[in-house]
Order: sequence, then structure tokens, then C-alpha cells
Amino acid sequence: MDDLFVKPGNQERGWNDPPQFSYGLQVAGSTRSPLTKRGPPPPAAGLQAPPPCGDPSPDQQATSPHLHGITPPPHKMTTPTHRITPPPSGVTPPLSQATSSPCGSRLPPPPKGPDSKAPCGPRAEPDPQPEPDLQAVSSVLAEALEACRQNVSRQVCEDIAKRLRLLEDSWTSGRLSSTVKRRMNALTLEMKSSHWSAADDIHRSLMVDHVTEVSQWMVGIKRLIAETRNLSPELLAFSPADPVQPEPVGN
Amino acid sequence: MTTYQEFIQQNEDRDGVRFSWNLWPSSRLEATRLVVPVSCLFTPLKERPDLPPVQYEPVMCGRANCKAVLNPLCQVDFRAKIWACNFCFQRNPFPPSYAGISDVNQPAELMPQFSTIEYVVQRGPVAPLIFLYVVDTCLEEEDLQALRESLQMSLSLLPPNALVGLITFGRMVQVHELSCEGIAKSYVFRGTKELSSKQIQEMLGLMKPAVSGQQGRPAAPQDPSATCRFLQPVHRVDMNLTDLLGELQRDPWPVPQGKRPLRSTGVALSVAVGLLEGAFPNTGARVMLFTGGPPTQGPGMVVGDELKTPIRSWHDIQKDNARHLKKSSKYYDTLANRTAVNGHSIDIYACALDQTGLLEMKCLSNLTGGHIVMGDSFNTSLFKQTFQRVFSKDYSGEFRMAFGGTMEVKEMGVGGTSQWKVCSLNPSTTLAMFFEVVSQHNAPVPQGGRGAIQFVTQYQHSSTQRRIRVTTVARNWADAQSQIQHIESSFDQEASAVIMARLGVFRAESEEGPDVLRWLDRQLIRLCQKFGQFNKDDPTSFKLSESLSLYPQFMFHLRRSPFLQVFNNSPDESSYYRHHFVRQDLTQSLIMVQPMLYSYSFHGPPEPVLLDSSSILPDRILLMDTFFQLVIYHGETIAQWRKAGYQEMAEYENFKQLLQAPLDDAQEILQTRFPMPRYVDTEHGGSQARFLLSKVNPSQTHNNSNGWTQEPGAPILTDDVSLQVFMDHLKKLAVSSST
Repeated sequence: MDDLFVKPGNQERGWNDPPQFSYGLQVAGSTRSPLTKRGPPPPAAGLQAPPPCGDPSPDQQATSPHLHGITPPPHKMTTPTHRITPPPSGVTPPLSQATSSPCGSRLPPPPKGPDSKAPCGPRAEPDPQPEPDLQAVSSVLAEALEACRQNVSRQVCEDIAKRLRLLEDSWTSGRLSSTVKRRMNALTLEMKSSHWSAADDIHRSLMVDHVTEVSQWMVGIKRLIAETRNLSPELLAFSPADPVQPEPVGN
Repeated sequence: MTTYQEFIQQNEDRDGVRFSWNLWPSSRLEATRLVVPVSCLFTPLKERPDLPPVQYEPVMCGRANCKAVLNPLCQVDFRAKIWACNFCFQRNPFPPSYAGISDVNQPAELMPQFSTIEYVVQRGPVAPLIFLYVVDTCLEEEDLQALRESLQMSLSLLPPNALVGLITFGRMVQVHELSCEGIAKSYVFRGTKELSSKQIQEMLGLMKPAVSGQQGRPAAPQDPSATCRFLQPVHRVDMNLTDLLGELQRDPWPVPQGKRPLRSTGVALSVAVGLLEGAFPNTGARVMLFTGGPPTQGPGMVVGDELKTPIRSWHDIQKDNARHLKKSSKYYDTLANRTAVNGHSIDIYACALDQTGLLEMKCLSNLTGGHIVMGDSFNTSLFKQTFQRVFSKDYSGEFRMAFGGTMEVKEMGVGGTSQWKVCSLNPSTTLAMFFEVVSQHNAPVPQGGRGAIQFVTQYQHSSTQRRIRVTTVARNWADAQSQIQHIESSFDQEASAVIMARLGVFRAESEEGPDVLRWLDRQLIRLCQKFGQFNKDDPTSFKLSESLSLYPQFMFHLRRSPFLQVFNNSPDESSYYRHHFVRQDLTQSLIMVQPMLYSYSFHGPPEPVLLDSSSILPDRILLMDTFFQLVIYHGETIAQWRKAGYQEMAEYENFKQLLQAPLDDAQEILQTRFPMPRYVDTEHGGSQARFLLSKVNPSQTHNNSNGWTQEPGAPILTDDVSLQVFMDHLKKLAVSSST
């Protein structure tokens, strides 16, 4: 799901900048109950020395640093209070594969990627899906624009057309990330099926998550969706690019 | 039988109300003797997914100076179709549409579970919501670029039919016309000259020319076709405005070495307020100010343009060395009052490494219900996401923000009402109300034995619908002389702590710091003297009942909090913290007073622990939530393991999960909180551990820590008094016959 991701904050510009959540994650909101419990209250009215907190483990002393190395954490296979023998002195425990990127140990699924100056998408994995075809995307948009020409002013249509050209330019010159391309494809599929709210939602998520890449032309798409959804269904006839695409249903 | 805890919680869940006392003393004298005033925290638009609004208008009492709304406390005669107002006892006939009601067919507003109910007002014109961006162009290019993008993005987040406008400022102030033509036009104002509202409207061409011969008549404002030029529907101008924003340049006036840019924030805001005042009074509107530094010229300037003169600190203010403070605070206060009268609100988004003048400008948001967001740069996740959340939607896909609120409070027997304007609201906005018991001492308990209060909140919903939310609550009166123990057990220590804290903050804004602490301590001692059980002059005998037992601890943490302690914070930071403190709901406010601390270890599941130095242990991870910061602190051993990389090894999978657990819980908070908190990941010995160390009760310090004992926890290097010492002193003072 490439619309649900977390990026690190911008530590260069913001002190202790929190991580950045994608639009999808923010809209989903919180499903767990909030942390609103306090610690055990001190004895009523007495408030003498605070009660012991947590469970002071009897082998607390085992957690103090070992003289020649450190005692490793409790092993998964054993009960928590059982310690495995620390490694022999002088030999450092084998370190595993490369420690994660600076943001890796601090955040939920850390994306491996460049600094957050450029918007980084989720972890760069070998892309299982083929990249969407620009032709498929722009044909849907062009058809929608044509349908609008009857009812919408010339000025506005020209404006939208200008932005569609910008989109195509950015796409062909490789300035768009594959996430953006995939989501534009999804957007046009929703438009073909007349799922206007879904298309609108995708446009919004792209504006929030990838504003640097899309801001120049996305507002044209936004306007196109807004205008086409007001058209009567017979004016809209998307030519099926692929026989298996569903027939456009009136909104 | 419900305990008071359950009763309190149920009432909060249903009505959004938490009273300091849930049994009310029946005389004024007894009420003052209770120390904590009879008061409540009220969240007018508390989110109630189970309460859909009803599509009809409220039925109101016919008496002219009453107008209370029909509610479950009213007596009803279903046969005669008459109801008796429980506030003024007037008998009112039901309107014709209620002809079909009966005992078994009651309208919702009479049922107890609808003590809070929301009505949709059908009549009246639909007024659009307005968003007026006021943008500082004296920013670094990187910041300006980030701000441009955020503003462009926001056009996709605005309510669909909203009107939007743009004013930019630096040395000059520019009001941009948002026509659909190809040419960009703007009206330019000098940043140094204070203008009246009328002058601004005239210069912008918003006034119709006065007809000759009609002297004394003010020129008719609100020429709708004229105002269209500056405030246009977003769905019509989004493309042009996107381009306009994309082409925004930095303020062209060069800034000499050793100088600050000339920023005319005061005039920019005045133009914005004047524009809205003339064009759209009394409709929901937000002025959103984005600024990257302090105002340095014109009315409302906070500091001069010479960098060698630093912006005022608390020290300067205490030594009366802040030249511009009084004058500019007054300027913004006047502006804020005008804005509030018009039903509009002002947000301040201030992103800079140094102060921006929030101390002087805070009234703009505080008086109008607007937001204050403080960040380091517009190119940070903190600003970007907090700004996105201004436009967040609730469970039913509707915007959380609400506009143009007026809240009325009606109390029994007084006959009058009190009204407040809350120009901007959201589901967590919480007001504190203070009540005065007016009955004379020894007067009999009022008939019926119960007092009632009704809150009527009218507001403009984000869908532009006008709505009315009515909450009616009642509590029993009690004779303080004979029933003091019952009154004591009805004490809500959490609500009282927050209410007293708000009173403290209010005082702190006008009094000297030490005086406020003395006042707070005096109230606490008086409360302990009144309700503590003890033998005179014997501190060890002192006890507090359960309903008060946590209260002293809250007061202890409050005294150390940034709301009352300005040491180590700039005036802007203090203003920012206080701004959020006095508007949040009870749970969040308590977090601010006494942060939450959760512990993660191998010894068991995650658990809340005492905010105490003894909770800091080597083999634990702590998650602290202060509302403004989320701190994850790794104990010494955990830090060493992490550094050694054990989490990467397959057989230490459980350690990896342990490291992840607090991150997951932190994420829950980060995803929803407004404003977004800072996020601190630190460990034993780390410099950022100070955020945790300064908040915990320092039960162990370098002064009292004993090398021989095995007491857990890390000693804190501080001279601050610990909770134990504080309590000892409190007990001594409470039991002393000479206090």
C-alpha cells in the first residue's frame, strides 16, 4: 500500500521534528485507545516515599554493565529473568547487517531513502507492477476535457489543457516518481468508473504526500474532476482502452 | 450504585461537562469556604458520533428574558400539550407540530439521554466560509518554497464552496485581486501607516459612493461585486491562485548587513480585518497569518530592525525594558476585539528560530478562538502536518472546524443569561465557567433540591448550516453545614486541578510570577485545612480522603510547569504553551500539567508508571507525553544493547519488538494530535534526556541520594523541591494552628 507511509521529519530545519505521515495514515486516524492512564497514585493522603514502581527485578544487578562487554538482552527462548552467559571477554558480540539509516531505529517502518529534502516514497523495493502507461492516463483526461468543452468556459478549458500538458511533460521527462504515476493511473480508473469522490480523494492524497512533484498541474486535475462530475452522463463516454475495464456508469 | 467516578465520567461522555463540585453548597458563604469555586469545564462541540443532529428548530420558553430551550428537566402535561420551563416556571404551549406527542411518543429533547442535543436551523441565507491568507514574504527561499507548497496543497483541502483571499506583506502590504483574467492585479499599502477600517475599505473600492444630500449617513459598504475581486470561491480561482502562489517572490527590498527585514505585520492584519469587516461581517471567516519573524515596522512592531537590539526576553519585561511591548499589545488587542465582534477569527502560524512576537499578538487568537502554531521553519513536518490538520475531518467526513459561535449560559432563578462569542471552535475547545451561588447563608435549599444550568451554543457548521447545540445539566443542592462529607465526596479533583490551573494562568498574565505561586499555595493549604483529617499540630496524622488525594500532586506539578514558570522559556514560548493550555479538554490539559509516563521492559506488558525519578531504570524504555513533546528514553542497558545492534540478530527478535513498542504507541498520538508534538528519541546520558529529567519528581537528587541504599532510579541534579518535601511542608502548614 504505497499511500500509507511514514517519513522522517526534517531534522536540519526543525529541532526534534516529528515524523511525517502520509495522507492515508492521517485520514485513517487512530484505532487504539489513547494512553491516558497514570501511574499508581501515591498512598492516599499519606504521600510518603513513593511506592516502588514497576517490578524491581531481583537480579537487577545483572543489568549493570559487564566489566568487559555488556550482558546481552534476555534470549527469546528463555524466561525474562534468565540470563544467557555473556560473551567471553575481549570478543565483541557479532554485529549483524548494517545498522539502519539514521531514521531507522527511531520510527515505524523506516523508509530507506534519501534525506527528506526531496519527498521520498516508501521503501524502494523491486516494483512488482509494471509502470503505468502515460497514454492510458492522458487519454482518459483528454476525453474528460473534451466532454467539458461544451459547458465550461474556454478560458478554464485552456487552463486545464495547459496543465495536462505539464503533467505529460513531467511524466515523459522522468520527473515523476513511480508512486505518483501509479496513483494517477488509479485516479483515472476511478474517473472512468465515475467514482468522483474516490478520484477526488486520490487527488487530495497526491497533493498532500507529493506536493513538490504535482503542485504545478494537479489543480487542473482537481478542476477537471469537479467539472466532469457535474456533467450529465451521456456527455461522458470514455472509450474503453482495455476490454476488461468496466462500462462507465452514470454518476 | 454508581460511584462518583462513574457518575462524573458518564456525564462527561454525554454532555462534555465536568464540574469541580457535583453537589452544590446552598449558600454563597459556604461556596467560598470550599476554596475551589463552583465551576465547570465545558466542551460545547464535543464529538458525539452517536448523536445525529435533529432537523427541526428548538422549542423555547415564551418569556422574553428567559428563552430557555425545552429539555428533559421540564415538567410536561401531555394531554393539555403544555410544558413548564424549569428555569422560570412559565407555562408554555407546545407548537402545533408537536400535536402528536404523548407519554409514549416523546420528542427526543425530553428524553434524559438527550440532555445534549443538536438542532439544525433551516431558515436564513447560506453564508459561505471564508479563508483569508496573510503571508509574510520576508522568508528564506527554502522556507518560502515550503510555504508556497503548503498553501497550494491547502486549496485542495478547503471546504468546496469556501471563499479564499490572499494578502502578502513585507515592507509593503499587497492585497491580491483574484479575478479570472490573465493579468494579476494587487492593491499596495504602505507598511508604516495605520489606517482605519473605513479608509481601507475606501482604498480597496469596497464602498459605494455616498449619495449627495444624505449627510450623516455612512457610505453603504458591502458592494458584493467589488468584494468578489479579493475573496473568490475556491472552486473558481483555484488554478489562478495556485499559479499566483507559485510565483510568490521574496520581499524585494534588500536587507542590509546587521539588520532585520522590514515586516509590516500590523498593517497587513489591519487590512485583512478591515477587508472582512466591510465585506462579510457576521459570517464564518478565518484570517490565517503565516509569519517567519517579528513585526519590525509600523503599528504593532515588536522589535526594531537593528539586529544588535534583541527581541524582549522575560528579563527585559521584568526590568521594564521592553520598549514596544505595551503599545503593540494594545494595538493587537484592539484589532482582536474588532475581529471578535465581527464573528471572525485569526490563526497565527509562526515559524522561525527566534521569537516572532507571539507575546504581543496572542490576543488575536486567544480572543477569537483561532490557532497558534509555533515551529522552527515552514519546511518542517511539524508545520506541514499541523497545518493539514486544521482541515481535518471527523468520523462522518465533515470538517471539525466550526465558526461564529455564541454560547449562552442560563441558570435557574437568576432569570438572566450570559453570552459569549467564540468565533472559532473545534470538538476539543473547552471553556471554563465560574458560577456564583447567590443564596444567602441559612436560606433553605431551593425547591426541588436541584440546580440546573443550560448551555446553548449557536454556531456555523463547516457545511455552512447554522446549528444549535443545547446541553442541560442539573446537580443537587446540599446544605454545607450538615452534608459537608457528601459535598467532599462529590469533588472532582481532576477538573478542579485544571480549573485552578486556568485561574493561575489568568493571574500569571497580569501578576508577578511569585505572587501567583503564593496564591496557588494558599488555596491548596486552605483546601487541606478544610477537608483534611488531622490532629492539630501533628503533621503525621494528616490524611486526605480519596476524592482529594491526587489534588496536591497536581498542584505540585502545576507549580513546576511552563504555564506558571517562565524560567527557561522565551515570552513567545510561554504565550504559546498557555494558549493551548486554556483551550484543551480536561484529559489533554491534565497531560500538560502532569505528563504521562509509560514503561516498557521485559518484566511484563507496558504500564503507566509514576512521574518520578525512581521510574528511570537502566533496563526500561520510557515514553513520556507532555502534550507538546513525546519523549522516548532508553535506559542505560537498553541503550547499550541498541548500540551493540542486538535488535538486528534473529535470536533477539524480542528485543527488537521491545524497541518497537513505544514507537508504535507514540505513532498513535503523533497521528492525531493538534498541534503536532515534537518528537524526542534519547537515552541515558543523552543531552535530550533533560526533557524527561526536568519533568519527573526528583525524589532522588544529588542532595539526598544515598550511596549505600539500593533505591532504584537515577538521581536528578537539581535543587528543586521533591514531591515528598512539598507534601511534608504542606502537611505542616495545614495542621498548624497558627496558619
